[in-house]
Amino acid sequence: MLEFENLRFRYPETERVLTFNGEVGAGQCLAVTGPSGCGKSTLLNLVAGFLNAESGTLRWQEQDLQPLPPWERPVTSVFQEGNLFDHLSVQDNLGLGIHPGLKLSRADNAAVAAMLDKVGLHGMARRHPTELSGGQRQRVAVARALLRGTPLLLLDEPFTGLDPDTRQILRQLIRDQREQGAVIVLVSHDASDVESLADRHLVLTA
Amino acid sequence: MAQRDRTLTPPFSHPRWRAWPGRAVALLLAGVVAAGFSGLLAEWQWRAVSDLWQSAYLRQVIWFSVYQATLSTGLSLLLAIPVARALHRHPMFAGRGLLLRLTELSLVLPTIVAAFALVAVYGRSGWLNTALDGVGLPFRWNLYGLQGILLAHVFFNAPLAARILLQGLERIPANQWRIAAQLGLTSGPLWRTLEWPALRRVLPGLAVFIFILCFTSFAIVMTLGGGPSATTIEVAIYQSLRYEFDFSRAALLAMVQLLICGSLWLVASRHGTNRNLVPGANDQPGTLRRDARRRDRVLLYLFLVFLALPLLAVVFRGLPGLLGEAGDSQVWWSLGRSLSVALVAAILSCSCGLAILAASQLARHSGHHLSARLLESSGHLTLLVPALVLGTGLFILLRPQLGQPHQGLALVAGINALMALPFVLQVLRGPFATLPPNSLRVADQLNLRGSYRLRWLLLPLLRRPLLLAAAYAAGLSLGDFSVIALFGSPSAPTLPLLLFQQLSAYRIEAASGTAFVMLALLFVVFYILNRWGDRRRRHPASRRLAAGEHAHA
Repeated sequence: MLEFENLRFRYPETERVLTFNGEVGAGQCLAVTGPSGCGKSTLLNLVAGFLNAESGTLRWQEQDLQPLPPWERPVTSVFQEGNLFDHLSVQDNLGLGIHPGLKLSRADNAAVAAMLDKVGLHGMARRHPTELSGGQRQRVAVARALLRGTPLLLLDEPFTGLDPDTRQILRQLIRDQREQGAVIVLVSHDASDVESLADRHLVLTA
Repeated sequence: MAQRDRTLTPPFSHPRWRAWPGRAVALLLAGVVAAGFSGLLAEWQWRAVSDLWQSAYLRQVIWFSVYQATLSTGLSLLLAIPVARALHRHPMFAGRGLLLRLTELSLVLPTIVAAFALVAVYGRSGWLNTALDGVGLPFRWNLYGLQGILLAHVFFNAPLAARILLQGLERIPANQWRIAAQLGLTSGPLWRTLEWPALRRVLPGLAVFIFILCFTSFAIVMTLGGGPSATTIEVAIYQSLRYEFDFSRAALLAMVQLLICGSLWLVASRHGTNRNLVPGANDQPGTLRRDARRRDRVLLYLFLVFLALPLLAVVFRGLPGLLGEAGDSQVWWSLGRSLSVALVAAILSCSCGLAILAASQLARHSGHHLSARLLESSGHLTLLVPALVLGTGLFILLRPQLGQPHQGLALVAGINALMALPFVLQVLRGPFATLPPNSLRVADQLNLRGSYRLRWLLLPLLRRPLLLAAAYAAGLSLGDFSVIALFGSPSAPTLPLLLFQQLSAYRIEAASGTAFVMLALLFVVFYILNRWGDRRRRHPASRRLAAGEHAHA
């Protein structure tokens, strides 16, 4: 279970303070919605460790996450864009989800190939992200998140600007993860995403 | 499913590996400068200070240094401002691309080659005097003396200034130009309302930068100076060290130069120095204004001819010279030495630049803004302390220890690297600071740290700016004459030293060949590093899977 209680963050430039409260259990998806600038992405960045909270608690399975750096947290983020390294091939982008030095075993390479098949990108391993459509890039990003196998997925408007078919494929992949027990926190402006994926709903105000 | 190990620690991922190399470089820089100073101070004699007002020669040297630098700066800017305006007004000018490339060359063109090229065009038997002869005009242009120094300094600095001023004009928002066009503003009002306010921000820093470059000019004054009446402080330091063995006077002159340059830089930095000293950082197309005038085109073509003629002279005169000297192994040995020194200097300079930026970024992220500023400032120390001043101190300090020529060359490569560091930092700072934030976050989450981060993220992302920085550093080192003149051995010269020796011995044909080799080498280094920077990268992992894909298919 992911819990955050009185999690306070102060923007250094504006001194504006946000406080977050909420929890989400295993196999659940928490949708975070609200107007622009209300702090939805800030909440995800706090959970991922990209930002540090001023005070409050942030726990995963009773363990305090706040002292941990991003790479030690059981978290994978998928952003709306910029998830992939454009200078690396799809294969390498996925391989980094398994080993940060790209030291992959035969089994790892097989896992990468299988994952590409699963997300419908068979034969695209050698391509670079700039050679893919927006939907294909997001599928690679989700594929890497699945390869990493972390129990907590943070999705920051991952479906924005995608065509209906890709959106459907990605939603199904997320649902599969949720059914396998992953905890998902989804930020979205789209009511249909929230309706199709979320079990719980956190509405933030500006 | 493959599960990753979150406890894996990539090699060199401890924060100290980000902090300490940069700190070590900063300390080294401070140490080298301090060592240089201590070398000078060891020879310092207070009674020598009185020479400043008692010696007519020293007074003349200091006066001439200031005088020629002021004139050079003024003339360079007077030419650069209309050229920049014309370039900005004519985005479709036919020779624009070539002209911009030539302006970039000005930063790295070896001064000794430029001096040689100017002699070929404007010298006693150069193209200009031949042409004047041909049309029967009695006037003869004498290159040597103040006029030659000014011409060379304008040849070097006007293109650099024009490029930087053009960038200043390009920063004016396009909508302001559109509004000005709608209001029908003519040249005068346009200058007052848009162009001058934009250039005014750039000019003070640029003027000081050019003044320091001209004030510390060495090779140009050595080759075109023409006697004691046209000697600058840098040349006087060299003469004191090499011919008179008067270290006390050299120390005194070095201190005077440092005092003048340091004070100017301090004043300029208080008013905000120009941050974009390296051309090509902002290459957006020109404005939409269409009030092109013939006068602008004529000016641009004349400027193009002014820049291209000397380079063409190097090629035309150099080719026969090169063929004549092709059997002379000294040229090729010198080329080998120059290339080795330049490559070592480029690698050292880029490594030091990266280390300083990484350390200063870490300090900034940790809230230590003063440390971050100090770290970055250390890389600019060599702008304040000109090569000859630094070399003088080190020369005095290391004189008893330096025996073998290769020791001298190693020292030259090291000092060249430090000299290039401000330019390297200028090229790298922007790309380093603007790495995509999401990429950095993803990298953190994927545990892409330490050597893995360098291998898979930083080096590929910074590939182009790194190679451009390396090209600049190599170019500056290839053209270095002031440091090699101190530490080099006359029997084992680099190309600039060989060229100087040949010019001094009036072996003009051989000098033409050497100048051509230097110019060609510079082009080749720039071409290779630029091409390498553009090449798309394919990784072994991609190839491995490619093989797998075929098997799968």
